[in-house]
Amino acid sequence: MMNLSRNIERVPFRSIEKQLVASYCNSSPQTQTKQEEFRALNIRNVKDPFQTRRRLQKTAVFPPRADQMPVDQDWGSVWPGPRSFHPATVPLPVRQGFTEKGAPPPNKFNNAELMKIPNFLHLTPPVIKRQCEALKKFCTPWPKALDNEDKIQKNFPIEVISSDYCYSSPTIRDPMARIITVKFKLASLKLDDRARDKFLRLVGPRYNEENDTVTIVTDRCPLKKQNYDYAMYLVTALFHESKKVEPWEEMKSEADMEIYCWENNASKKNIEALFGCKSEEIPNAAEYSEAVSHYMNEGENDYTISKYGEAVKKLLKLQGTN
Amino acid sequence: MNITLIKTIPNILKFPAANSARLLHLTAVSNKNQAGRYKNTPRKNFPLTYEMANPPHQIAHRKSWNSWNTSNVEGGNRPSETAVEDQFIRKFVQGTWHALFVSEIIIKRQHNLIRIAGLVHRGVMPRKMYFLIGYTEEFLSFWLQCPIKMELQSVADKRHVVFKYV
Repeated sequence: MMNLSRNIERVPFRSIEKQLVASYCNSSPQTQTKQEEFRALNIRNVKDPFQTRRRLQKTAVFPPRADQMPVDQDWGSVWPGPRSFHPATVPLPVRQGFTEKGAPPPNKFNNAELMKIPNFLHLTPPVIKRQCEALKKFCTPWPKALDNEDKIQKNFPIEVISSDYCYSSPTIRDPMARIITVKFKLASLKLDDRARDKFLRLVGPRYNEENDTVTIVTDRCPLKKQNYDYAMYLVTALFHESKKVEPWEEMKSEADMEIYCWENNASKKNIEALFGCKSEEIPNAAEYSEAVSHYMNEGENDYTISKYGEAVKKLLKLQGTN
Repeated sequence: MNITLIKTIPNILKFPAANSARLLHLTAVSNKNQAGRYKNTPRKNFPLTYEMANPPHQIAHRKSWNSWNTSNVEGGNRPSETAVEDQFIRKFVQGTWHALFVSEIIIKRQHNLIRIAGLVHRGVMPRKMYFLIGYTEEFLSFWLQCPIKMELQSVADKRHVVFKYV
């Protein structure tokens, strides 16, 4: 082989083939003669020449890549995406694990614990900055006119809330994602008193008196879009239904009223008859009307009675006379 | 059966009504936790990895889970499917990488991506190892219908992962 290789070095390319063929021819007769010889019968069971087991060729293992990393390298291109921890790539002397007797925790090599925990080596601050810069061109600026919460509330009175769910599983469907919540202020519908009263009767417990908000949750349809459409239908239907006046609603008499309204009652007529003019023209009538409605609505207690007495005194100009 | 037959039964075989508990032999209740714990061997030469050295009650204290997914959190979906798939992955990888994995097989799931991590002994040629990685990824992604990534770390010697001997 040594000769052959030397020849290859010397002779031009075509003569290599000749050399190779010649070497094969030379070697083949010898091997044939060996095979043709009788095999000796091994009676005494003398051992065969020791057959060496093919040993695994050990390939050279390169030293950890982390040892050769320059200090000012671009880490984002070394670790571009999420990945399990690899000690040869991460140039940090991290350790993890519990050891007793004050021994140091196991180091990063051959440490399965470090491979289990999720790492954020792909989300270093410079990388996040770079990604944000790249995403910026897809963003539009926030409208300047909408600079405070009141304006947002006024121009976009309806708030639609839905949730998306991320799972570590092959499915992207979640039954909870179908639920739609619609919120809006009742004041934004600009209903009159009668329609407002009817609206509140229709929505029932979905109205929160504290912040004047109506909340409608729809989850009866299987898809988010269907539930959204249904919620919008409900809002529309509620609005128009509360504006509608049915013939039987006109039959509501004073006895059916749930609160005392001074304007519709005998008290106003009596005063007008007493003074001989309209109630708006009578001095202190507003205070009197308020006192009477308080008395009627809140019930009889010391406060309402005293208020009522004062209002009557003022109305009839009995001030100072006990 | 008639009454005369009952009379012939000897006294011993008669059913003792009041003292029935006396016949039953009871021992103290043995509710000892044994799973995932290793007993000391006489010569103290049984090697344990860090994972084996810490019993199951140390999960989330000294060691962490081998399966990472959102199926078993509150309100997670398809927990049973995930458990079965994980077991299948473990079996398949153990068989394909026969006697090469020196740690537990760690299965981490992110959305529909499955990452399989672990420590592998450098027992075969690198070329074969690359083949096995591709083979495992290809077959598992075909069966589970989602992308699979093998993220392995090679270990020069099996003794390097031994945490202690018991």
